[in-house]
Parts: sequence; C-alpha cells; structure tokens
Amino acid sequence: METPQYVAARIQRALAEDERTNELGIRVDVRGDQVFLRGQVSCEERRHGIEDVAREAAPGLTVHNEIRLLEVRAPGEEEHL
Amino acid sequence: MKALRVAAVADIHLGEDIRGHYRKKLEGIEHRAEVLLVGGDLTRHGTREEGRVVADELCDLPIPVIAVLGNHDYHSDAEEEITAMLRDAGIIVLDDDAAVVSLDGVRLGVAGGKGFGGGFAGKCASEFGEPETKAFVRHTKEIAERWRHALKDLDADHRVVLSHYSPVKDTLAGEPPEIYPFLGSYLLAEAADAEGADLIVHGHAHLGTEKGMTPGGIRVRNVALPVIEHAYAVYCLDGEGVH
Ligand SMILES: [Fe+2]
Ligand SMILES: [Fe+2]
Repeated sequence: METPQYVAARIQRALAEDERTNELGIRVDVRGDQVFLRGQVSCEERRHGIEDVAREAAPGLTVHNEIRLLEVRAPGEEEHL
Repeated sequence: MKALRVAAVADIHLGEDIRGHYRKKLEGIEHRAEVLLVGGDLTRHGTREEGRVVADELCDLPIPVIAVLGNHDYHSDAEEEITAMLRDAGIIVLDDDAAVVSLDGVRLGVAGGKGFGGGFAGKCASEFGEPETKAFVRHTKEIAERWRHALKDLDADHRVVLSHYSPVKDTLAGEPPEIYPFLGSYLLAEAADAEGADLIVHGHAHLGTEKGMTPGGIRVRNVALPVIEHAYAVYCLDGEGVH
C-alpha cells in the first residue's frame, strides 16, 4: 500500500492545482484507507467539487468530506485602535 | 481630528457560483464605516469572468473601496485586466503604491499591494544561491522597497498599509509553521515600521489569527474571511494619528 503521507500530499496538490478547485486551505489527513477533508468553503458546489477532485486523486480510498460551509455573519463590534 | 472607521476584509474568493451573496452583506456599510479595504484573493482562479463578478459585487457602494490583488488573482495571468475592470468600476486598486481619500475632511492614506513571502526574521530565505531562490527573495525585497517609498511620500492624517501577504507571524498562528515562508515576509513589516503607519491589514492566511503587531508596534489585523467570520471587520482609528 502507498504511504499515507504521499497520498495526502498528492490529494493536497491536486486540490491546489486542479482548475476545478484551486483550493489551498483544505487539510487532508489519510488514515489507512480513509481520507479526511477539513476546512471551510463558501458554497455547497465548491464543497462537492473538492470531494470529486480528492476522489480522483485517491482511487480506492474512502473519502470523508468534513468540509464546513463558511458562514459569513453580519459585521460585529468595531475595535478601537 | 475626527475618528475614522475602517472596514476591512480579504479572501472573499468570489466566483459565478456565489454571485450576489457577498454584495448583500455590504448593505448598510455606510452606517458602520467610512471606507472599505479589501486585501486580495478577490477571486478563486483569477479569471476575467471572476474579475467581473468582483467588480459587480464591489461597485457603486456609498463609501470608497480600496483593494489589492492576492495570489489567486494572478493564477490565470489576467491580473492586469482584473485590475482595469475594478478601476472601471470605481474601485481604487493599489499596486505597490498609495492613494489618499478624503473622508469627512479627514485624509486617509493607504499604501500597499499584494506583498509576497520569504519568511520571518531569523527563519527566512536570503538572496543567495540558485537564480530561482534569488528571484523569489528579490521579488519581496523590491515590493518592500516600493512600499517604503509610497509611505514616505504619503501625506495624510491616518496611514494604513493594505497587503495580501502577512508582514508578521503573529497573525499566522493556526497555520502549519512549515508554510510560514509562503504566507508572508518580515520585510513588509520592516518597511512599515521604518516609515510609520497606524494599522496594517492583510489576508492570505485562512487558518490564521486576527490580531498581531509589528516589532515597531504597528497593529496588524488578518481579515481573511474565514478568520473574521463576519462580512468585514471594523477598526476605529481614533483622533490622534499614531505615526
Ligand atoms: Fe485566500
Ligand atoms: Fe492568498
């Protein structure tokens, strides 16, 4: 079996370089044949796109998409400097 | 002198798939701030189409908008067209230079640009060895030098530096330390410390922390959207300019 570190690195690189994603802020952890994706993105479409690219980069592994949708709240308190 | 409320955000990473969403969050911004600063990574892939979305989302706000580009906005080699599109939409785009806007009689000077990496004092790349390494470090050095000049010539009541990359490591806390050299450079902070500023705003480090400070005591704020988790942060510069 391929070393998990290399699998994680390959997925991370694919997410950054694939034109469908270009995502640099996703954490990829590989444990055995399980892949975990974590991070935050702006919409459901991007969340699924990341999962697709990760699956293609890691055929045969189980991908767990734990990416959250970024919730942009109304502006809060101002800070006095 | 009147206090000034500066709204700031970075890493909005807009695209056709989320068109209209961010604009809605800007409603009423004129009641909360006098100016909006946008610290780069306006798009995801840096395409013209995404640039169009950014221009549409940020145009015709009741307050001035000042922006810089980020690394994502360079990805498709369309940075010049994106810049032109934003300028046509009335947005001030800084490219290692400065602009002064008059807000209710108070002059706010903003200097900056994309910035670049290289790392932080004691743990950074030097202009030595292979041409590729030298080119990387030289790019940051040249940017810092241009910021220094822009700040030196900046005549305003308040001075803010707007960057995409980070000038300090404080605001990177939460990112893996191995990638710090790709997230910013101390040369950017050094330029600001040499010429003086009231605040430095940046983005790029999505997993970082909001608050930090330069060695010279200038407040640094990482306003990447995933960090602030609000449509924008608001910093109130009080009557006395710091510099
Ligand atoms: Fe970003
Ligand atoms: Fe970035």
